[in-house]
Amino acid sequence: MSLLSTCEWIQNTDLSTAIREGALYYPIIGGVHLLAIALFGGMLLAVDIRLLGWGMQRRAVSDVVGQLRAWKRFGFVVVVASGALLGWAEPLKLYHSKSFWIKMALLLMVGVHALVFRKTVYGNSTRLDEAPLMPSVAKLAAVLSLILWAGLVLSGRLIAFDA
Amino acid sequence: MSVLPFLNWLGSSALANAMNGPEWAFPVVECFHFFGFALLIGTIAIVDLRLLGGGMRRQSPAELTQDLKPWTLSGLALMLTTGPAMFAADPKVYYFNPSFRFKIACLLVAILYHFTVLRRAVKPDVPPVVGKLAAVISLALWIAVVGGGRMIAFV
Repeated sequence: MSLLSTCEWIQNTDLSTAIREGALYYPIIGGVHLLAIALFGGMLLAVDIRLLGWGMQRRAVSDVVGQLRAWKRFGFVVVVASGALLGWAEPLKLYHSKSFWIKMALLLMVGVHALVFRKTVYGNSTRLDEAPLMPSVAKLAAVLSLILWAGLVLSGRLIAFDA
Repeated sequence: MSVLPFLNWLGSSALANAMNGPEWAFPVVECFHFFGFALLIGTIAIVDLRLLGGGMRRQSPAELTQDLKPWTLSGLALMLTTGPAMFAADPKVYYFNPSFRFKIACLLVAILYHFTVLRRAVKPDVPPVVGKLAAVISLALWIAVVGGGRMIAFV
């Protein structure tokens, strides 16, 4: 089964039709998606701000990273789940949307980012507390995560403007 | 005095022309609006979650409010510049949109609430149950603002 025919199959499921054609499902799921972007993005921004030394300097890195981790993950799960439902509603449109594929590539890079920096930064925050200066690898992780997140928001928004 | 002349003037201003110019102008400004509300609501949520007993429990609500203040205010500033720019793109449509009116009403209450009630609710001598109630109201107000904003395109 090709990707295109899979998209056609999804588009014809009852769930897809219901979200697409129901008056309220789409905006409500969209609202949840937005709120989860704010939750995930907000937690991510707070952690990155601390890693970059732009704020919360009096708090230990491990305090910020460790205590916000659960909420960051919760936000991420909700944003992905609500996004998947929005995508389920119009797979054919997404299949032909360049912005959507850029967004999926960025999402893949979010996974790569997490794997690459887990050992040195996010899972290593007590060692970062002891470092006299924030190691450049932590700052790099923060900058890349900001760029990825902003790119995901931008490419997601631009899907609506693809023909 | 009617607000219509102002809306007409705004709708044909240089700002409106810029927003309605290139196809990407509006969505890009809208993305900065999203960045702003992630900062604003994200940092407020950290304090609200703390008042509710979750998140950054090793810090006090007052400490977190103080730590995050510059970022909450930056987020608010970004929202209050990108929001009016988007409004200028089509002032009359927004002005008469019920969801937009709902959003702005919630926004005014949310901002007022934040700088009056919530600022006091984070103080150490406030009973926890009052702090929790204050946090729930704060979260509900901001959720209403975002929800109202999302519905603008659908009503």
